Amino acid sequence: MRAAWLICAKDLKARLRDRSALLIGIVVPLGLAFIFNAIFSGISGGSDVISLGVVNADHGAASQQFTSQVLPAVGRSGLISIHAEPSLARGRALAANGTLAAVIVIPAGFSARVQAGQPASMQVIGNVDAPVSAEIARSIAESYAADLNRIRLSVATVAGTTTLPPARVQALAAQAAAAAAPVAVTDVSAQTRELNQKSFFAAGMAVFFLFFTVQFGVTSLLEERNDGTLARLLAAPISRASILGGKLLTSFLLGVISMAVLVAATTLLFGATWGNPVGVTVLVVTAIMAATGIMALIATLARNAEQAANWQSVVAVILGLIGGTFFPISQAPGVLSSITFVAPQAWFLRGLGDLRGGGVSVVWVPALAMLGFAAVTGGLALFRLRRLAEV
Amino acid sequence: MDGAIIGEHVLRCCGLRRSFGKLVAVDGVGFHIDPGETYGLLGPNGAGKTTTISMIAGLLERDAGEVTVAGEPMTTHSVRAKSALGYVPQDLAIYPDLSGRENLMFFARLYGMPTAEARRRSEEVLALTGLTDRAGDQTKQYSGGMKRRLNIGIGLLHRPRLLILDEPTVGVDPQSRNAILESVEGLSGAGMAVLYTTHYMEEAERLCDRIGIIDHGKLIAEGTRAELVSMVGEGDQVRLAATGDLASAADGLAARSWVRQARALDGSIDLVVDKARSELPAILTDVAAAGATVRSVEVTEPDLEAVFLHLTGRALRD
Amino acid sequence: MKALWIALMNLHRMFRARTNIFFVFVFPLVLILVLGATFGGSSSPRLGVVSTGSGPLGAALLRQFEQTPHLRVVTVSDPATLLTQVERGNLAAGVIIPPGYDGAVRAGQDTMLRYLARPDQSSQQLGETVRGAVARQAALLGAARFAVEQHVAPGFDAGLAAASRIAPSVPQVSVTQTAAGTTLFSRTLGQFDEGAWTELLLFLFLTAMTGSVALIETRRLGLSRRMLATPTSPATIITGETLGRVLISCVQALVIILGSALLFGVNWGQPAGVAAVVIVFALVAAGAGVFVGTLFRNEQQAIGISLLLGLGLGALGGCMVPLEVFSPTMRQVAHITPQAWGNDAFAKLVGHGASITGILPQLGVLAAYAVVLLALAAWRLRHVLSA
Repeated sequence: MRAAWLICAKDLKARLRDRSALLIGIVVPLGLAFIFNAIFSGISGGSDVISLGVVNADHGAASQQFTSQVLPAVGRSGLISIHAEPSLARGRALAANGTLAAVIVIPAGFSARVQAGQPASMQVIGNVDAPVSAEIARSIAESYAADLNRIRLSVATVAGTTTLPPARVQALAAQAAAAAAPVAVTDVSAQTRELNQKSFFAAGMAVFFLFFTVQFGVTSLLEERNDGTLARLLAAPISRASILGGKLLTSFLLGVISMAVLVAATTLLFGATWGNPVGVTVLVVTAIMAATGIMALIATLARNAEQAANWQSVVAVILGLIGGTFFPISQAPGVLSSITFVAPQAWFLRGLGDLRGGGVSVVWVPALAMLGFAAVTGGLALFRLRRLAEV
Repeated sequence: MDGAIIGEHVLRCCGLRRSFGKLVAVDGVGFHIDPGETYGLLGPNGAGKTTTISMIAGLLERDAGEVTVAGEPMTTHSVRAKSALGYVPQDLAIYPDLSGRENLMFFARLYGMPTAEARRRSEEVLALTGLTDRAGDQTKQYSGGMKRRLNIGIGLLHRPRLLILDEPTVGVDPQSRNAILESVEGLSGAGMAVLYTTHYMEEAERLCDRIGIIDHGKLIAEGTRAELVSMVGEGDQVRLAATGDLASAADGLAARSWVRQARALDGSIDLVVDKARSELPAILTDVAAAGATVRSVEVTEPDLEAVFLHLTGRALRD
Repeated sequence: MKALWIALMNLHRMFRARTNIFFVFVFPLVLILVLGATFGGSSSPRLGVVSTGSGPLGAALLRQFEQTPHLRVVTVSDPATLLTQVERGNLAAGVIIPPGYDGAVRAGQDTMLRYLARPDQSSQQLGETVRGAVARQAALLGAARFAVEQHVAPGFDAGLAAASRIAPSVPQVSVTQTAAGTTLFSRTLGQFDEGAWTELLLFLFLTAMTGSVALIETRRLGLSRRMLATPTSPATIITGETLGRVLISCVQALVIILGSALLFGVNWGQPAGVAAVVIVFALVAAGAGVFVGTLFRNEQQAIGISLLLGLGLGALGGCMVPLEVFSPTMRQVAHITPQAWGNDAFAKLVGHGASITGILPQLGVLAAYAVVLLALAAWRLRHVLSA
């Protein structure tokens, strides 16, 4: 195996001088991560606080209860901010230009009508491009309206067809209001087992370009055959296994260097969080092995180095797409979300996602899957490489 | 050479056989090389030289036959046999992205030398090949001649018992070619055994102690130059440009026992004789005695091309 | 005419390599398909609901969720699966209607629904929508229970029946909703539309960039010098090489546009407008590609830089993440890139049904890019060919 290390060292020296490995393995993914980081640092909307406005033109009991009890309770979670607006015109303008996602308007006379048991309505004006947030605003208003309706319906059901005296109605209404709602919703927090956007792009970019970085190892065997230096290696007093081993080792180490630099750089420069170091190391190492195996196998199927590089690029891009390195594909409908696991990249990203929500032990399944890829493809490649190493 | 037992061949191969599909590239080739001897494998393109070499160097599996290098059996996996053998392939086999020194260091270590020795030996080879000044430059910047010198130098690094050079002068300019031939002469002068393949007759004649002629995968003749030439049995050709009574001069010469043929042409006399060089004084005397005056003398001895032609009916060079 | 021959030769060489066919034509179309399938549909959040064993009332609540606008309900078989799906981000949030819900409500017990959300804000904000839907059903159930408590109804079922009977005649407190502001797109976009034009621009530029490698190869093989040795002026060669790139881009655009229109029903807008954008952008891409091709002698390095520029500028210009999601500052930065102007043009053509006159500003900017880049390319190419 000494010879394998010598060959690997020689290849690494040549590759790192060549700069193309540095470009593909480090510069390009880092550059793209930087750009994505810049884009996503300034993203507005989505995971931000929803700004809701309320215009209270009524100031009666019912509307006061809404604005001073219901809304603050909603706002206490910090997820939704409530802004009191002085007029309908102002509220509508802010909703129109997007400053507010929606405005809840309580028209004048609302409380009186509620008190009198007449039909009453609240209005929600939502920004046309924020339908989800507008729906949330509507739901807040609806919850309150539904509660008022519950009281009305309760009283009406008890009254039946008879008309009750106002005092009785008042008493019933008070009793109904005091009754607890039959169904309540309690919050259960789930963990997050997905990467945040920044980390997703860092990890996706790194693992996508990994499959290009590792190409440099085994493909060089074809180049050496072409250049005539393979004959020298075969004439030297070393075993064939060490020649093949050296080449595979080169691929692996190039992958290690590339991934190490990318993980460190994206963490330090862009604040990406990869997760527990032990878990990340296990996932990264098995991913590199899987990538090396797959690319090596393709190289053994090609006739020359150029053809190998072409086929490897096609496969790397397809696997990158299916594996969800460009965008999360697990949300895609139907067959797309199932075939994602044909690609080792998907296992890598899945492992990182699970690592966020759990302990190190969650990485065993993805790691074993990627090891499986490595074993099968690497084994086939070695088998085919034996025949390749004949002059 | 160190450790050589007198009488032990540096290379012994016999019954080498290799086919590629239906094509039989090498068919029963066998020869031996003694220590310090330069053996030439001469044959036209496609004769099977490179295939034979590949089998001897352990690059290619044999279908049949045995190869022993310095007493060790050679296979594609042999470590000991390969350690005794230096290989210089026909195509330049050097790494373009590494410097000359790095190339040498890499192969030195690959051949099992510890780092210190590898460094020392690399410097020696650099000096030998005249590349010390440019040792730190990447070889892709070397001239063609420099690359060739390095190519050979790598084969010498580990002080092999036998150096194999596979057609080292193909496509090389005359100056570099001469330099290569001189270095091979130097090596054999220093006592290294050399196996040299070529399709250039002049090289074989100049360098080799013994020559094996190979054609269509078979070794059809073997021996020193003199032995091979004598196979042809042609005799030497002598052309005398002369004036005077050429016809009678020719008749007079024809009577000599060692003259096989004598012809008088317009302005010259053509002869075929045995051992022209030693009989030249006698020829000139006879011609003068016949009353003709000799202007110039041209002697042509049969060469290996003639040998090849004689053996196969085809030309050595296509 | 010679220039055209050189250009056609470039086109022919490009087609020769099968992997080129994949990267230039097939992959963009595949990407458009996958993008559209994954993101092009409804952008409403997905809510998972477990309701097994929850009885008729549980089913009624599920229907309530399904009728809520801007919410996509996905039924999930069990809480464990629901938790996994929510944690992995496949579902925005989840609701568990407990088994025996029906019985518990009828028995007058207070019942709890569990709402599963991830720690991030959008997941938790959705809770309000869930509460709204629940509140609507709770009204009826609350009235029924009240009737039982007030001894007006003998049992829950009777109470529910009474409440349901009287509900239509009870005046409601309701919520009306209207929208304000101008939409981003006045036309409704098809599922694959936005993905189609963004990927078109991305790949036109990327292909032109990586195609610059062919130019390097031509130099390396000594073919440029051979061309110069023929009675062909350098100007013709330069025109020919550049025209070749433009031709390749136009063919690529044609295939992607027609292919996506036929296969995925993508709407591209007014043909004249589309043609104008494509041609001008092809000129920009060709200029950039040829220029980069003259800067390098090494193929491998050129490919690396080309990828970086092609993907980087594409991302910055809104070809991967749409421009409307960018912050105002980043949106301004994005307009350094020609891709951003191209995206703007298409947004107008497809999203607002504009005609070619409506995109003249964008075309103008792109034309300016083209002039500058082509001039740079021609200057460098002349310099390189005479070296």
